[in-house]
Amino acid sequence: MTDTRMLDQGTQPIRFARGWHCLGLASDFADGKPHAVQGFGTKLVVWQGGNGELNVLDGYCRHMGGDLTQGEVKGDHIACPFHDWRWGGDGKCKEIPYARRVPLRARTQRYETVVRNGQLLMWHDPEGSAADHELLPPELPDVMTDKYTPWSWHTKEINGSHCRELIDNVADMAHFYYVHFAFPTSFRNIFDGHTATQFMESKGRPDTMGGGYGDENSTLKSVATYYGPSYMINWLEVDYKGFITEVILINCHIPTGPTSFTLQYGISVRKPEGLDEKTCAYIAERYTESFGDGFLQDVAIWENKVAVQNPLLCEEDGPVYQLRRWYEQFYVDVADIAPEMTDRFEFEVDTTKANEYWHAEVADNLAKRAAAEADAEAAAPADA
Amino acid sequence: MASFVPTSDETLEDLRRYTEDRLVDVACLDCLAQVRVKKNSDHQTSVQWSAEARADCQEFQRRGQAPGGRDVHKPCSRLMASIDDAVRAGAVPIGAYDGY
Ligand code: FES
Ligand SMILES: [Fe+2]
Repeated sequence: MTDTRMLDQGTQPIRFARGWHCLGLASDFADGKPHAVQGFGTKLVVWQGGNGELNVLDGYCRHMGGDLTQGEVKGDHIACPFHDWRWGGDGKCKEIPYARRVPLRARTQRYETVVRNGQLLMWHDPEGSAADHELLPPELPDVMTDKYTPWSWHTKEINGSHCRELIDNVADMAHFYYVHFAFPTSFRNIFDGHTATQFMESKGRPDTMGGGYGDENSTLKSVATYYGPSYMINWLEVDYKGFITEVILINCHIPTGPTSFTLQYGISVRKPEGLDEKTCAYIAERYTESFGDGFLQDVAIWENKVAVQNPLLCEEDGPVYQLRRWYEQFYVDVADIAPEMTDRFEFEVDTTKANEYWHAEVADNLAKRAAAEADAEAAAPADA
Repeated sequence: MASFVPTSDETLEDLRRYTEDRLVDVACLDCLAQVRVKKNSDHQTSVQWSAEARADCQEFQRRGQAPGGRDVHKPCSRLMASIDDAVRAGAVPIGAYDGY
């Protein structure tokens, strides 16, 4: 026996989460061409048929394995480039132009879809259940109208991490200071049913160059809810020197393999009254950039860390174990969902001690920087 | 069946420790809801609901069951007040053991 604590890296699940997953902006798929999306250990084909409907099928043809994403949209169907078998959005083969009849068993994997807030969502369930529309994320009033800037949408592939690393952020108070350069002054979580929410108020650090969560002149009020395993709506209210901007950030992902996923994020900004279109677009771009940087800060950590089943916590940490217990519900059969996975749980982090220490550290950093600048000035040759 | 499988028994013990230890019952003063509460410090609070308590809470009943926009996730103010009362009465010990 030893007192040394071991990291339990555990084993990753062999299945992908049950629930609604966002594939991207619906408009990006609506050009009558087949689109390839990596997801759930395979390649999916996404297309809009002549009838306007968006469809998602497994990307590989059940005839001889042709790549449907390289095929062609013919009418409402996707035609395989290999022998022209035509597949419908319901997963059935509708026509084989050179054959007398279509085999009865010609059905492929199809995924039910919904367009919500301008984004294409698909239902994934390893047990093959029908899509549960009760579990969809809510509609965002006024988004996609004149009152908000259009979605600025971005995609990033992450390799070497299970997507649970991304979920862990929901309960991780302290990383906002170290990784995103902000003081989290208030931090709460509520997990309830299929939702997990983080309430946070933060202020930018004056000793860093900002990035992600703003600089010293900005305070942030953030409410971020996961609706199911992969789709988060983050309502942000940014107060920059008294000028308040409402930002909606979508943070979603598609698992691609056991230790890889595609991160997507989109930003829409409520247009401040009295500002022209160009200025609104500029503001939206700045926020997109800074929250994009925020994700990159996380990615740098994920790419180098290991998985941990037994995190060791201190009193100032958020409820990582309860969050993971909540997340587990999406990885077991519906019949095996235990009550504690979905039972409501509320947690408020005590941020007092942490912020005392952090403010002292930042003051120290600023003093050191000022001293270094004074030294550099004294050492510089006089410029006559 | 767990999907993320720990490789040691101590991990299961940690899981129990962080999620179950030291929770004490607190009843709402306004309705039938009874929850389990833990306080690591004056400002830290954990509230563990059960499905039964969730259904008993009048406040949640009023707000409706379906999660809509951002407001439905707020805590019940009556229950929070009841917890404050219980803390004042000394029914909820304050302080952590070893990070939990
Ligand atoms: S492989 Fe698709 S039609 Fe033959
Ligand atoms: Fe983060």
